[in-house]
Amino acid sequence: MLLSRVADSLFWGARYLERAQDTARIVRSFTELVIDLPISVTSSWEPLLAVTGTRVDYDERYESVEEMPIVRHLVADTANSSSVITCVANARENLRTTREVLPREAWQTVNDLHLYVGANAAGGVERRSRARFLGRVIADGQQLDGVMTTIMNRDEAYEFWRLGESIERADMTTRVVGVRAAALLAEGWAQLPEDGRTVAEVHDDVQWMGLLRSVSALQMYQRVTRGPIDGAGAVRFLLLEPQFPRSVASCAIRVREALTRLPRSKETLPAVDELDIVLAGLQARADDGASLDAAMDEVQLALGTINAVVVDAFVRSDR
Amino acid sequence: MTMAHVRAQVDVWDELVAADGTPRPAAAALLAQLATLEHSELQERQTLAEVDILTMGITFTVYSDGKGIDRAWPFDIIPRVIAASEWRRIEQGLKQRLSAINQFIDDVYHDQNIIRDGVFPADLLQHSVNFRPECVGANPAHGVWAHISGSDLVRDSDGTMYVLEDNLRVPSGVSYVLENRAISKRVFADLFAQQSILPVDSYTDELNRMLVSIAPEGVHNPTIAVLTPGVYNSAYFEHSFLAQRLGAALVEGADLVVADDECVYMRTIGGRERVHVIYRRIDDLFLDPEAFIADSALGVPGLMRAWRAGTVAIANAPGAGVADDKVVYAWVPDIIRYYTGEEPLIPNVPTYRCVYPDEMAYVIEHIDQLVVKPANESGGYGILIGDRASRSELDAHIALIEGDPRNWVAQPILSLSTVPTLCDGEIEPRHVDLRPFILSGAGSYVSAGGLTRVALRKGSLIVNSSQGGGSKDTWIVEAD
Repeated sequence: MLLSRVADSLFWGARYLERAQDTARIVRSFTELVIDLPISVTSSWEPLLAVTGTRVDYDERYESVEEMPIVRHLVADTANSSSVITCVANARENLRTTREVLPREAWQTVNDLHLYVGANAAGGVERRSRARFLGRVIADGQQLDGVMTTIMNRDEAYEFWRLGESIERADMTTRVVGVRAAALLAEGWAQLPEDGRTVAEVHDDVQWMGLLRSVSALQMYQRVTRGPIDGAGAVRFLLLEPQFPRSVASCAIRVREALTRLPRSKETLPAVDELDIVLAGLQARADDGASLDAAMDEVQLALGTINAVVVDAFVRSDR
Repeated sequence: MTMAHVRAQVDVWDELVAADGTPRPAAAALLAQLATLEHSELQERQTLAEVDILTMGITFTVYSDGKGIDRAWPFDIIPRVIAASEWRRIEQGLKQRLSAINQFIDDVYHDQNIIRDGVFPADLLQHSVNFRPECVGANPAHGVWAHISGSDLVRDSDGTMYVLEDNLRVPSGVSYVLENRAISKRVFADLFAQQSILPVDSYTDELNRMLVSIAPEGVHNPTIAVLTPGVYNSAYFEHSFLAQRLGAALVEGADLVVADDECVYMRTIGGRERVHVIYRRIDDLFLDPEAFIADSALGVPGLMRAWRAGTVAIANAPGAGVADDKVVYAWVPDIIRYYTGEEPLIPNVPTYRCVYPDEMAYVIEHIDQLVVKPANESGGYGILIGDRASRSELDAHIALIEGDPRNWVAQPILSLSTVPTLCDGEIEPRHVDLRPFILSGAGSYVSAGGLTRVALRKGSLIVNSSQGGGSKDTWIVEAD
């Protein structure tokens, strides 16, 4: 008996909160990476604009592409519709209008996070307080996840929350792989000016570690592979590893589960079948940067189709 | 804090401290405990309460420059205490009052015996803006129309508790009764351990029971929905809170549809689902654009048809507001006598009705000693407190009264009792009222206590949260 309007708000509430956390993870790991790399390796912050898909919006409002304005844009800029501060505010607004179907603690967690972010977002930009700020955003997201997992009925509202969260998570993992992994694979053979060795030979492990960290995957990757990091292996892990809950394949499994438990699955599941087909074709394309970028576009397209099917089946329909 | 901080006052009744400066019996334990706290400790607990209110997201919405702003709910930690023995009498009085009022409403929409018997003037009804011809002949379950009501009580300087007004349309505030208690249980956990304070939490369960009891015939496990005007309404927090506690859907007008079978459905992800009971929190005139305001976007076209066909129950019933009117109020003692054959257990505040020329003349002559109220405004708007108004304000109100006498009543200025309140670190008496909530369905129920509203400005009598009022927890205490 979940209202269509409420389902829509839950779906977007979950997406916004996941996006806030994912952005926090990406900024946090990139900051750590830049601190690790020697100054001779120019570390451009521009990939973060590409990952979050906000380059055009950024260029309209900022002049230089340097660390501070980019981090401000991603974390504390209320004019950026996918900054951490905007996503948390939107998540709160969506939860405020769905409180009747959520555990009370869920609302309190997000409300509390909103108060924290509102008061401390500026500190989230400064390097010295950035990790603490972003860590809190991630921790509160995890607390909310714990609330949902431990005290919420496995009802339609729960499935909608999981649906929004999984689609957003898959989307973000795909962007990270499409932008940064693709770039790393392509750049790996470029030679460094000082000694003729390739970039990959010198800094590859650090870069790949940073990439895995940006989706909190490093430790789990190492547990599964038990060897030094290799680029194609990392890409396969992020996209296809069924054991890792943030991989695109895992997200696809949860999307399927949610849609199976919700009404109208005959109408919605074919879109998940399409995503699975795209994912199945990725195994062979993980080593090649150019092909990978294109492949991620296909995954994004499939995710977009699922999103559209969900809206059509549950939100717009009145049958 | 010491007793010296709560000075006895002349001509004002304090709820916690008697005129000779000793604690009232029911408040003795509280005051003894408070006496052990330093001012700074008390202030610290107040701050903790405010932090809790902020993080728990307990808010109300005010309007300023056309924008709704979510504000933290104002709460003072020092509770108002009522002896259980006194409360039992009030409870009986409120049940008596609402029973009579419901019989009155049902009568007004049917045979109008009370008019034929000469107890209630016919022309008052004809001119009532809250009388709904669309409701004549309707038969809500148990003959009950005002299912959820909030009657505002005030105590005068001699200690008498009066009913100041009855809110029978969409009274709000009950969510704050429950939240205030949740907060004060945290702040004063130590005090609750040492005395017997009636819990308030069962209200929502009783509300659920009442709503089930008014479901259409044959429906035993009804689907209940709370109908809200939406997130911008000043009481949205409460609508959401109640839906959550009831396990009901919180719907807006656009979520509902009346189908060809004259049943009400909500639009869910699985398709349309029948709704049996609607706890509406929007005014009559916005309920159904077919029946009332045609361009109301808040309502549901056809809802009145469905209600009249008996496929859906609406609480409060459309038209119940006919008795929520400061003019009808003046007749409530007669209404109680007429329908119950009993004397009212809680008195009305003496009320002058400007519809009668002699009473209007008295009001105009003594306007500087009276509170003048419009019959149909809520939220404290349009009220004139005679002894605080300038001559030009008084004259402006006299003109308003002469222009539309039926719309005005006046009452003597009561002194409104006080409760010690934390104001900028000092404890000072502030005026309060009390809004208990009364549920009427197959049975009746009165909330344990109610919402104590407090005028935070020194000397002010205006307790509305939209105008600088705050709130307190209300303790019904079993004194030994």
